[in-house]
Parts: sequence; structure tokens; C-alpha cells
Amino acid sequence: MTTKLGDWLNDRSGWRTIYGTVFLRKIPKINWAYTLGSATLFAMVIQIVTGILLTLYYVPDPQLAYASVTYITNELPFGWLIRGLHHWGASAMVLLVVLHMIRVIVYGAYKYPREFTWITGVALLLLTFAFGFTGYLLPWDQRAYWATVVGTKIGEVTPVFGDTIRALMLGGEEISGLTLSRFFGAHVWVLPSVLLLLVGIHLYLVIRNGITSVPKRGE
Amino acid sequence: MAEETSRPNDADEQAPAPEGPAQDDPRDQEVTRRKFLITSVGAMSGAMAAAVAVPAIFYVAGPVKEQGASEEWIRLGSASSVETGSKTLMKATVERRAGYLTTTEELSVFVSTDNGTDFLALSNICTHLGCRVRWVEEQDGFFCPCHNAVFGPDGSVLEGPPPRPLDRFETKVEDGQIFIRKL
Repeated sequence: MTTKLGDWLNDRSGWRTIYGTVFLRKIPKINWAYTLGSATLFAMVIQIVTGILLTLYYVPDPQLAYASVTYITNELPFGWLIRGLHHWGASAMVLLVVLHMIRVIVYGAYKYPREFTWITGVALLLLTFAFGFTGYLLPWDQRAYWATVVGTKIGEVTPVFGDTIRALMLGGEEISGLTLSRFFGAHVWVLPSVLLLLVGIHLYLVIRNGITSVPKRGE
Repeated sequence: MAEETSRPNDADEQAPAPEGPAQDDPRDQEVTRRKFLITSVGAMSGAMAAAVAVPAIFYVAGPVKEQGASEEWIRLGSASSVETGSKTLMKATVERRAGYLTTTEELSVFVSTDNGTDFLALSNICTHLGCRVRWVEEQDGFFCPCHNAVFGPDGSVLEGPPPRPLDRFETKVEDGQIFIRKL
């Protein structure tokens, strides 16, 4: 039954070729460190799913943000789980992305023909940090507030454009409702759009170029 | 492992069974390492998806069971302000809690009495699609502006699409004040 449906779909979409290309690739003999990229991808999927669920209740409004987060955490069934997954998943993702990068450095996997994969990867690393930074403000508690004060003050240190950069981040001179809504917009719309595009390119390149083998002594 | 990867990588590339229909091929019944791994990965993926999806269902449905309006008596106003033989529109503000927000909402009720002791309290919300009805004294009926529904003085449907009469409230009088409660 399922094979019949699969055949029917395959005739009309050729999905088996795509499935084969993506999942039945030939790979060199590798080790567990090579799973870090997939682990990051998995963490990203968790972040997307739990993030979407959080937006069902979260409100980026200075009067209500904290109350809505408290409501999610303390009153909704499994709200603590969804928020907890998103909270700890964020840290896990930063950790995994960094470990993944270390593996690529150590095994020299950034070399020809994978330089562009590496460049998109660096962009994805920075995007992950941007996700962490913008998401940190959203609970709108003291820790969030002061972390954003410090974070945007770091931006201010930039030569020449420092003040402009901080004002652009905050949407004004000080943290306000404008800061909250633009951090929310960035966290939920801007960054995910760029992330999905780059992840798409990154994965395409991984499949297109194949993965590196573990370098041997003397290589 | 090394031996595994040096081989052409899947069973799909094996030569087809030389004779007989494919169903009779004993290799289809056999649990190969490949089949075992595919099934295991599938089962683990399913379990992980369920670990998020099942709580998510409860999470999404969370506010459904929250009780909006309270079951308490609501004070409408003085019983003497209700004219005998007519409909008096009385208003009360009620608090409604929705998640993290408590809002006040105005409740409007048509109150009438024939003898000054027994009161009839009818909701002004049309039972069709929730528009507000108004009382027209000359025609002795409640009229809904949305789809021309007409209700009689007792709330019964006289004309139009409403599926049931206007909602009634339970009433009581205490110290000359009218109180209503959801039936």
C-alpha cells in the first residue's frame, strides 16, 4: 500500500531520486564528531517548533510580556516544557554550533572545495548568536533588561558608528517598548528567514560536495 | 565498518531475483541490518516527535477549559427602576479573566416584571450570531439588526434564523437590588 502510494508520487515528483541523493549518499569512514552538524540541525528544528508554539501566547508588549511569559510557564499545561525546551535548546544550539565549527577546523574540512560551505557556516554561527541575543530580551525581566543594556553598550564601542548602531538596535536612546517589539520582530521574522535560506545553501553544499574524510597523518 | 563502506552502498543495487514474482523472494521477509536500522531510526524519530507533539496539543488547548465569566451573582441595580409591563435595559460590568489579562466587560440585560416581585432577565445577545437586539415597545418585540430576527417579550423566536430563544438569567432581589446569575 505505502509502496504503491510511493510509486504513484514518485512517477509525478521523482522524490525517490531526491531521497536517495539526500539520505543514501556514499560517505567515507568517519566518526561521531561528524554528527555535530546534524545535531545542530535537530536543535534548530526543536527551536522552530517550540518557538512557534510560544508565539501563540507571548506578547511583545512592555506591559504584558512578562505576564504572558509567566502565564506560559506557570499556568498553561506543559508551558514549562515548551518554554524550557526553547530556553535550553538555545544554549544547546550555541554549544553544538561551536563544537561543529571546531570539528571542521580540526579536520581541515573548510578547504577546497568547501570554502563556501565554511563561509555560510560562519554566517550561521553569527546568526545563532543574534538569535540568542534578541531572544534573551523577550521575557522582559531584570536579567533580560540588563543583558540588553550591556549587549547594546558593547555595540556602542564600534568606532565612528557606535552611537548609531546602539540607537538602531534599541530603536531610540534607551530600552523601551520599541526595543522589545523590534527584538521580537528580528527574532521571529528577520533572523529565521535568513537562517532558513542559509541552512538551505549550507545543506545543499554538504550534499553537493560530499563530506571530508578524517585526515591521515602526513596529509 | 571499512568493509561496509567500500561496498556498493545499498540493497537497491542488488541484481533482481532471477525467477518468480518478487513477493516470493525470501530476502523480503528477512530482517537485514539495513531494515533493522531504518525501522529503529523511524521509531526513535517518531518517539521524539511525539514527545513534543503530545504536550503541544495540551499546551495549545490550554485556555479552552478556563472559565471566562464567573458563576457569581451580578448586581444589576435597583428593582424599583424596572417599570411594570415594560422592558428595562440594565447594565453591569463584569470582570473577565483571559490568560494573563483581566478585562472588564459590560453586560446588558433586559429586565421586566408583571407584579414587581417576580423578574424576568433576558440577555440582549441574539442567539443567531451574537448581535445585540433592541426592544421596540410599539411592536412588542426584540429586533436584531443583523438578520431581521424578531423575539417575543418572553424571548421566544418569532421570526428569522435564531436557533433558540434569548438566554435567560436566574434572578433574585435582595435589599431592593436585582441580582442575576447565569442559568
